[in-house]
Amino acid sequence: MRRASSADRIAPPMMALLASPVGALVRAVARIRTSVHIKLLAGFLLITLLFIAMTAVSLLMVAETARQTNLLDQAHERVGWSRQIEHALAMQMHFTSMALLAQADGSVGFILRENNRFNDTLARLETAAPPEERALIQAIRGAQEDAMATVADIANALRDRRLADAMTALRTRQEPTYQKIEGLVGSLVAAEETRMTRLRTSISAARARSLRLMAGFAVASVVVALSGGFVISWSFILPVREAHGFLSDVAEGRFGGTIVVPNRDEFGALAERMNWMSRELHRLDDEQRVAAETLRGLNERLALASRAKSEFLANMSHELRTPLNAILGFTEIMLDELYGEVPPSLREPLVDIQTNGRHLLGLINDVLDLSKIEAGRLELGAGEYSVQEIVDVVHASLKSLAFEKGLAFGTRVPAEIPPAWGDGRRLTQCLLNLAGNALKFTRQGRVEIDVRLDDGWLTYRVIDTGIGIPKEEVENIFAEFRQVDTTITKEYGGTGLGLSITKRLVEMHGGRIGVESELGKGSTFFFTVPLHADGGVA
Amino acid sequence: MKDRTVLHIEDNEYNRKIVRQLLSRTSFRLLEAVDGEEGLAVAQRELPDLILMDVQLPRLSGLDATRLLRADPRTAKIPLVVVTSFALSGDDRRAMDAGASAYLAKPYSPRDLMALINRFLPEN
Repeated sequence: MRRASSADRIAPPMMALLASPVGALVRAVARIRTSVHIKLLAGFLLITLLFIAMTAVSLLMVAETARQTNLLDQAHERVGWSRQIEHALAMQMHFTSMALLAQADGSVGFILRENNRFNDTLARLETAAPPEERALIQAIRGAQEDAMATVADIANALRDRRLADAMTALRTRQEPTYQKIEGLVGSLVAAEETRMTRLRTSISAARARSLRLMAGFAVASVVVALSGGFVISWSFILPVREAHGFLSDVAEGRFGGTIVVPNRDEFGALAERMNWMSRELHRLDDEQRVAAETLRGLNERLALASRAKSEFLANMSHELRTPLNAILGFTEIMLDELYGEVPPSLREPLVDIQTNGRHLLGLINDVLDLSKIEAGRLELGAGEYSVQEIVDVVHASLKSLAFEKGLAFGTRVPAEIPPAWGDGRRLTQCLLNLAGNALKFTRQGRVEIDVRLDDGWLTYRVIDTGIGIPKEEVENIFAEFRQVDTTITKEYGGTGLGLSITKRLVEMHGGRIGVESELGKGSTFFFTVPLHADGGVA
Repeated sequence: MKDRTVLHIEDNEYNRKIVRQLLSRTSFRLLEAVDGEEGLAVAQRELPDLILMDVQLPRLSGLDATRLLRADPRTAKIPLVVVTSFALSGDDRRAMDAGASAYLAKPYSPRDLMALINRFLPEN
């Protein structure tokens, strides 16, 4: 049912992607019962959180690396201090040996200075050293105290000139103590160096780890951003495409279709609305169809009724004309004295019968014409006609009436008017109607027929000096059965159909009819038809 | 020349009476028929010099009777005037199409009818 337009088509790779679990994810996102706003916000928030996490992790890494570097520096410092201790120790031994060689205790001051330096450095080292090294440092301190005790003994022996004792003390006590201290300091340095090596390894490992972690985070962020964007955007695009196709259907007049979208967001609500609209349109369309069908049926019945009416009128007309033919026929042959001489006293009533019979015939013709026009069964017999002839016929038909009423009755037709095209018989009827009315409603003065040709349009004008028409009645004057007031019908006669028929006939010629009038001064009725009018149907 | 015959086919007695009155002072012989079938039979039997045919007739319409007369070689050439009632536009055209020589609209003036008869059958 749905026709794919260019916007409906989805590229094949996209189709494959939508058929995969990614598509399922798209539909799952669409099904989430929350607004588009929240969904977009959640997507952006997810990506932002990833970046925040990445930043936090990298900051932690930097902090950890800094801490380890700091530890390395400290270890380095401690190694330096150990070296200073070693140096101080060597200096003590040196000054002790010097004291023995010089056999003087003058060097003891130097030894004590070196001892102080040793102790200072050791104290600093102890404060900075990790707990596992404390024992080693205690041992060094103990050994140093032994060494200092020995130095004191040696110094005493030297003061007492007990050279042999000093030598013995130096050899048996001082040297092993110094060696012990040297060994202990060596262990300390070794321990620190091992520590430094471990720290270095740990730092480089941490660096590699952080690099991997960062890379991982970057890749994950990009993947999440891309797939999130894809999933969210397609969860919006799919319902929009559905709606597009659906609206195309509606635009092409196929109502009643529905769209199915998994969305439970604004798009879902929109789809719901569209389905509602579709149902409503379908219902209205059905109703309209039913109404149209009913109207068609009604129209057919009306057409039948109208035809029946026309046929009835045609029959009626024939039925009316047949007796009228007899009445007018007998009156005429009586007046023509085919039955013998007519006594003068009978001539007037016979003429009255004839006049009224003709009037009745005019009424019948008017009613029939109007019913034919209304039934759309009046056809114009278009042909070539002479404007002069029409005016002459009308003038000839009405001049006796004008004469009887003592009215001046003139015509004015320019000689240069060429032969015209139209239904001459019907146009004669029109002009006869207007001129007949003018004579009927004029008590004194004149009636004039005036024809002009202007730019392919013929204007027939009937000017009278009659009673005129009130302004408010001018609009209604061409409506059926209208005369200015009903008393006029009684005074002047007529069905009130003449102007209405004339208007229809003029309009069938593609022309228009009008009137200019001043109450009490006279009226000018006119109609304008093309010089070459094609036949039409009322 | 008393032989010249006019056949008037008309169902209305009064209208027949008018023609009867009109022709009573002439030398024409008048035949009458009151419906289409009778008119057709009289025309084919008598072969008149002029036929006046009403359009709306019982049993057989004036136009159908005209067509049948025109189809018959014996009556095909007889002048035939159809009297129409102008009930619907096109009556005149249909009359001519059926084969009428002329048509006259009802109600007609007896003077016009006489003029038409004289046109087809000029008096000496």
